[in-house]
Amino acid sequence: MVVIKGKSTLSDEELVTDDEMDDLDEKVSGSESESEDEDVKLSEPSKNAIFNRDGLADKLQDISWPENVGWIHKLVIDFNQEQEVDVNDDLTRELAFYTQALEGTRQAYAKLESMGIPFLRPPDYYAEMAKSDTHMEKVKGRLLAEKRNIEEAEERRKARDSKKLAKEVQFQKQKERNAQKKAAIETVKNWRKQRKQSGFAGGDKDGELDMPFEDGKVFERSNKKRPGVFPGDRSGGKGRQPLKKGKNGPEKKKFKRESRDSKFGFGGRKGLKKQNTADTTDDFRGSKKGSAAGNKKRKMW
Amino acid sequence: MRMHQRDPKRTLLGWKDKPEAKESEFPEVKETEQIPPQQGGFRNKEKVLVTCSRRINYRYRHLMLNLVSLFPHCKKDSKVESTSTKGATLNELVELKNGSSSLFFECRKHKDLYLWMAKSPSGPSVKFLVNAVHTMEELKLTGNHLKGSRPLLTFTANFDKDTHWKLLKEMIIQIFGTPKDHRKSKPFYDHVFVFSIVDDHIWFRNYQPALGMKGILYLNIRGWFSHPNSTTDGSLVAVIDILYFCQSQFFYSNISVPHNETDKIARGGLDKMTLIEVGPRFCLNPIKIFGGSFGGPTLYENPFFVSPNQIRALEKKQKAGKFAKKVKAKTRRKMHELSNPLEPDEFADMWKE
Repeated sequence: MVVIKGKSTLSDEELVTDDEMDDLDEKVSGSESESEDEDVKLSEPSKNAIFNRDGLADKLQDISWPENVGWIHKLVIDFNQEQEVDVNDDLTRELAFYTQALEGTRQAYAKLESMGIPFLRPPDYYAEMAKSDTHMEKVKGRLLAEKRNIEEAEERRKARDSKKLAKEVQFQKQKERNAQKKAAIETVKNWRKQRKQSGFAGGDKDGELDMPFEDGKVFERSNKKRPGVFPGDRSGGKGRQPLKKGKNGPEKKKFKRESRDSKFGFGGRKGLKKQNTADTTDDFRGSKKGSAAGNKKRKMW
Repeated sequence: MRMHQRDPKRTLLGWKDKPEAKESEFPEVKETEQIPPQQGGFRNKEKVLVTCSRRINYRYRHLMLNLVSLFPHCKKDSKVESTSTKGATLNELVELKNGSSSLFFECRKHKDLYLWMAKSPSGPSVKFLVNAVHTMEELKLTGNHLKGSRPLLTFTANFDKDTHWKLLKEMIIQIFGTPKDHRKSKPFYDHVFVFSIVDDHIWFRNYQPALGMKGILYLNIRGWFSHPNSTTDGSLVAVIDILYFCQSQFFYSNISVPHNETDKIARGGLDKMTLIEVGPRFCLNPIKIFGGSFGGPTLYENPFFVSPNQIRALEKKQKAGKFAKKVKAKTRRKMHELSNPLEPDEFADMWKE
């Protein structure tokens, strides 16, 4: 809250000295962060403000209702606030209002109940409300949207967390694997050293470590031939169908197509299929025709 | 309209109750007793005229319309030019409409809202500056209540602290309270007005009581008002979390029909009661109280009041002061340099052999 020193600063600005100017500036810098409609107050009451207590009391007497008017006409509840409320603290201020209203309503309802007056609307009493249904629809929409936003944010947070966790697990695994590898290499080194120290004593075979990767076969594909599967066939021979009896046109074509699909593959990456293997180099079945008629460019020269 | 013989006498200046008649003829009515409608002989026939000035801006106009929708005992009138003679015009208007009081929303410079609250025909009248306006249309105010049901009025005890507050309280009771048995009012009590004096301002709030869990929604509104995460109060944050759990169960069924409760409150029902804010909100800063209606002798002046015009002028001046200060500092420096010349440098011609 901005506080102005007195009326003098407002009225005779011309007489303000440098020092006072500094003072004012400090105040401004303090107040700039606050919102515009923050109300300003004089720090001390102005001297010549009128306060006619007798006149006020007279007027009060004039307008007030007769004293014996029943409570039901006024519906007034006084609430005794225990402590001073700080205006600038929104939360406590609103809480004070809330408690005041709550306490007041409780007292009022107790009174009404003791008088036997109905005070809550029965469920079948429909009447115009202060806010229209369309407006309440909007209110509801907003609340739901808020709820949804919160849920979504929660979900995002969870996903982020799980991702982080997964990364960590992956890292751990990698570390473990590296450690294993290192250990394996270490053992081999040790074994070699030992062997050297013992002067290759046990001959060639005896000192061999029985390690699965020593025979060098681990990284090769199994040489087992799969029946009916051409090399490089990724479908594993499934493209090839059992022979069919009828050798009519479409049937025959189908068979051809199938066999070709099985041989050359259908779909998938081509890179591996086009490589030569020992089998294909030995195979001269299709080469005669191709070399004679295939390359027209070469023939021209 | 039939006046009872034993009624207090109504003079030109309002109700005058004779003290000798009071003792003998009016038995003290106990509050716990049930009062039949005609007993007591008093009938409140308050009628409030609500108008605003021309060139009012939309927010304040909405506030006015909100109040019109809250008061079944009011009459809205067309806008009034806010000139120096507006008092006479308004008095005439109130008389024409048979009003006994009036609320006049005067907007100046499209920013400042002044509220005149006047009793007619013989005063008093009060001029307020209205701050911190929130209308009922705001979506964060989720409550709702019957249109035209009579409000419960709660006042803080500091309304009885001083004479002018007492007068204001009486005026507010008469103007904001809906007369009993008003033909447009509804016979239930489902909202409560809060009038609270904090920092010499009158703060107004309007709540709807809710029996049951529904009221937890209210915290949602408070969460909006100032950010819940910024508070150190952990419990509040926790309750707001509960809100989203409860909402799904209670909100859908109850928001359009807020009172599924029966008349009888279950034991402990009052303890479980919560409130939902309906709006509007505003804060009244009393400036002056006059003896008459829209005029007359000044009975009270707020000694702390600074008009928003003065505040703005001061702000402008301070901004202008920045430049003036710089100029002044420059001249001061020059003067200082002139008055304290540097000593001649003894090594100045050292290398000029």
